[in-house]
Amino acid sequence: MRKSRRNEEAPRQNGSADFETNPVGLQDGHDDNDTGRRREIRSKYRDLINTVQQNREDMLSPSTDKLTEVLEEANKLFKDVRRAREAALDAQLLVVATDLGKEKASQLFSEGSAFDPTAFAEHLLSFMGLNRLEDGDGGPQNAGAADGYLPRDAWHRLSRRVECCFRTAPSFHYMMGSFHAEPPAPKQRTERQRKAPTKEAKRIMPTQLKKMEESHQEATEKEVERILGYLKTYHQDDPTSPISYYEFVVDPNSFARTVENIFHTSFLIRDGLARMYLDSDKLPCIAPVEEGDVEAASSSSRKQCIISISPKIWKELIDTFEIKDSIIQPPEPHNE
Amino acid sequence: MTQRKRSFGSQSFSQNRRQPSSSGTQEDNEDSTFTQPSTSQVQRGLEKLTPAQVDQKTSEVIQYFLVKDQKKVPVRRADLVKHVVKDYRNIYPEIIKRAARTFEQVFGLKLVEIDPKNHTYILINNLEAADKPSPVECPANPKLGLLFVILGVTFMKGGVVRENVIWNTLKKLRVDSGEKHEEFGDVKRLVTEEFVRQRYLEYVRIPHTEPMEHEFRWGQRADMEVSKAKILEFMGQLHEQEPQIGRCWL
Repeated sequence: MRKSRRNEEAPRQNGSADFETNPVGLQDGHDDNDTGRRREIRSKYRDLINTVQQNREDMLSPSTDKLTEVLEEANKLFKDVRRAREAALDAQLLVVATDLGKEKASQLFSEGSAFDPTAFAEHLLSFMGLNRLEDGDGGPQNAGAADGYLPRDAWHRLSRRVECCFRTAPSFHYMMGSFHAEPPAPKQRTERQRKAPTKEAKRIMPTQLKKMEESHQEATEKEVERILGYLKTYHQDDPTSPISYYEFVVDPNSFARTVENIFHTSFLIRDGLARMYLDSDKLPCIAPVEEGDVEAASSSSRKQCIISISPKIWKELIDTFEIKDSIIQPPEPHNE
Repeated sequence: MTQRKRSFGSQSFSQNRRQPSSSGTQEDNEDSTFTQPSTSQVQRGLEKLTPAQVDQKTSEVIQYFLVKDQKKVPVRRADLVKHVVKDYRNIYPEIIKRAARTFEQVFGLKLVEIDPKNHTYILINNLEAADKPSPVECPANPKLGLLFVILGVTFMKGGVVRENVIWNTLKKLRVDSGEKHEEFGDVKRLVTEEFVRQRYLEYVRIPHTEPMEHEFRWGQRADMEVSKAKILEFMGQLHEQEPQIGRCWL
């Protein structure tokens, strides 16, 4: 508000500068003087208002009489006031001064009790356990605290002491707390479950592999040896009569075993431990090779043949040769 | 107009019309539609309900208060009626009466209407505060200390104090309203908003001040909850003087 008034005044000031030079008490001059005088009054009022507002703290102090001086000054000014505009300024000054006066009065009232917030604060700091530092004994904890530092539980200490001044209702809280306690538990369980199977799986794998490897190589060799054993035994029982190949390999109870027997027997022949030949009826026979004949047999020409068998042929063989039992006993079940 | 007269009953009509007009401007729209039922209405309402129903509704009101009290914000009658009482509003006075009795007898708390015009309630401790701090080492809320300082200074300054006095005092205690405090965070917000919302303090603007200034006063909750005598006693201990000061305002 003040600023806008100043702007208003400025052009007028310039405009009426000419009139200022005429001090004569003519009717025109009197009006001009009036304008000038009024401007002066307004300016002085504004100064007074400024004084009161800017120097508030000073004027509050009971030692000064500044407020009274301002009021006396205002009284003097008011004698020359004729128009509403100056009177409005006077009223504004009065409002501001009264406000200050009220505060001074209330201060007077409490002055009698001599309560000093500064001293109060000092006492509180001591109570809260302020560590006042000795000369130059700062250290890293002293960041920002020029004269001592408050311990961390300073406010807690104070709060505990003043709790008894309050009749606060204790807050109600559910004993079991909020629902947040639930979710973490299931997560742990699932993790544990996941861990267990993987361990067991690992354990299983190596043993299985071992078994497989065993059955692969050694099983075949063992089988071949076993069959050789059967062959030799059968041959020794009756060295002169030939052993029919079909009677030897066919297992009347299992086609699969028959195929296995043929497979294993082929190894015997490959290795030169047994030989196949056709008898007088042109039927294949098998006989173990004698110890001495082994080298001779290896030097002679090798012949190869492919034997195929189907379940139909297998059945025909059983019927034709009337094979009741297998010569080669089925292997022990532990390998399978 | 005539229709309304019939529904409310001729006796209670004038009684009911008076209340909303006085408080309607300041309250929620919700509450202006809620008119305190008369005794006869309450009687009639009670007859229609079983005791179990009334007890159930009373319990709900009690639980609502207890949970709301956690934040120490006063409960407004409008909220209570809208969220809890609902259809039982015709026996509202009876429910409040029973709730207050339960609070006293079961919980040792007192249900107080701190603002008869706006109908807001708080819970305070019905038991006398202990003379000394409890021997149990339970952690105290540090905000209590801060509140004590403000209330104490305000009290010693005659019940009203300019905000600058408070801010300066707090600054000496290493609590700066302009900075974030380690313990309290945004101090200005805590003091001028939270404490005011909880009705511990009043933060009123002083007219004709440029720039704008406020003053602090004791709030309605502080008037009920805080013992001036005990504050004086502690201050006396601090100053190691006889507490004769401030007696005129007691």
